[in-house]
Amino acid sequence: MRKAIAPIVALIVVGAGLATFFALRTSPEPLTSAYFLMDTVLTVKTTGGDAATINEHLHALASNVDSMTSYYKSESETVRVNAAAGKGPVSVSPEYAALLKAAVAMETIDPGRTFDIAISPVSSLWGFTTKDFRVPAAKEISDTLAYSHSDQLVLSDTTVQLRDSRARIDLGGVAKGYSLDVIEEYLHTVKPQPRQVIVDFGGNLLLYSGGRKRDWKIGIRDPRGQGIIGYVRSGDAFVATSGDYERYFERDGKRYCHIIDPSTGYPGTLNQSATVITDIQPMHGAVGDALGKVFFCSTAETQRSLFQAVQGQGTVGIVIVDAAGTPSTLGPITFVPTTTQ
Amino acid sequence: MKRSDRITAVVILTAVALVVVSWIIMHRTRGTMAVVRVDSKVVATVDLTSREPQTLHITGALGPLVIVADGKGSIRVTESTCLDHICVHTVPARSPGDQVICVPNRMVITIEGKGNGIDALAQ
Repeated sequence: MRKAIAPIVALIVVGAGLATFFALRTSPEPLTSAYFLMDTVLTVKTTGGDAATINEHLHALASNVDSMTSYYKSESETVRVNAAAGKGPVSVSPEYAALLKAAVAMETIDPGRTFDIAISPVSSLWGFTTKDFRVPAAKEISDTLAYSHSDQLVLSDTTVQLRDSRARIDLGGVAKGYSLDVIEEYLHTVKPQPRQVIVDFGGNLLLYSGGRKRDWKIGIRDPRGQGIIGYVRSGDAFVATSGDYERYFERDGKRYCHIIDPSTGYPGTLNQSATVITDIQPMHGAVGDALGKVFFCSTAETQRSLFQAVQGQGTVGIVIVDAAGTPSTLGPITFVPTTTQ
Repeated sequence: MKRSDRITAVVILTAVALVVVSWIIMHRTRGTMAVVRVDSKVVATVDLTSREPQTLHITGALGPLVIVADGKGSIRVTESTCLDHICVHTVPARSPGDQVICVPNRMVITIEGKGNGIDALAQ
């Protein structure tokens, strides 16, 4: 009799030991930090590892990208390039030249050209650089559009030149995503490795677990209400969202959002939001950031053909909320809608 | 009952108690908390599961802000010294990942805790 229950007792004790071990192992509390940068907030949530040091260092890395790319900060390479517009070539750092090249390459993915880093004179016309919002006249827009195009850019490995003196570049459309690229590259080298890091940089996300976690739950914000309309699951990834609810102004009951469609010069109205999920590869944070604008400014038909073009290049999936508020996805991801009671 | 049976019983009970305690530790969740920061420093935390409405008076980088937790799980900025008032017009925050930001005041409200089980919010 006693012999019979001995293995059972042993099993219970070993099982309890294991259960305790795993329960206590998963208990470190995440450390959340928030920093003001690029006119938005950088939030870092680190679990495990030397979280305090990691959070501070990620902030420093993003600050470096801001100092390099800022449209406003006098020491930035963007400001130097813009100040020399129409005058001649400006020598830039290899990192800046590489980022510019990647951004310009993104412009050619869409033949309809819905992403352009040289659109900023048109954005300024609408008041998005000064917050002095207005609806410009059609002629003003078409006149400005004539020189608000990357054709104005002459790039070499070490220099950048803007041909027209009125042309301006603004890397605001890729800088947050690129910051996540720099952050991800650093996280890979950190010892001891944190268990997971979630970085939210003004709507651009990095989900990092060193490849261990395969079931991140990413909520898709309701563009017109409170909370989420549903979620998708993903492994480690960059997630970039462009939405018409982030920065916008209203005139005569009409909403004008800050994402200007470079092909028309007007704010995009075809969708309420576009969320692009890209895999963890160099520059895919920046690529996702740019693609968010492209999909946001495209029709459903164009979105399907564009997705065919980018699917093999690291784009995992896309969640679109169209102008009517209806969600849909492209790629092998499943959107789970929030059940309404 | 033999002495060895009693020992067996004590061993099993201890093991089960250990599992229960660690289970509780693992699933111990601070309720949903709203954390208010100015210039990256935490200046207030509010338990959003509390039924009691709360009004906070915070000093931002520009000047005073008034923050109201409604006692129904939401928190928002009701008054601010900033010019554009984006913070006042932001949808109230209630789930992890939600944020209310006032850039001129360098103030941000973040929601932390387990909440709806979402890891991150695409917005």
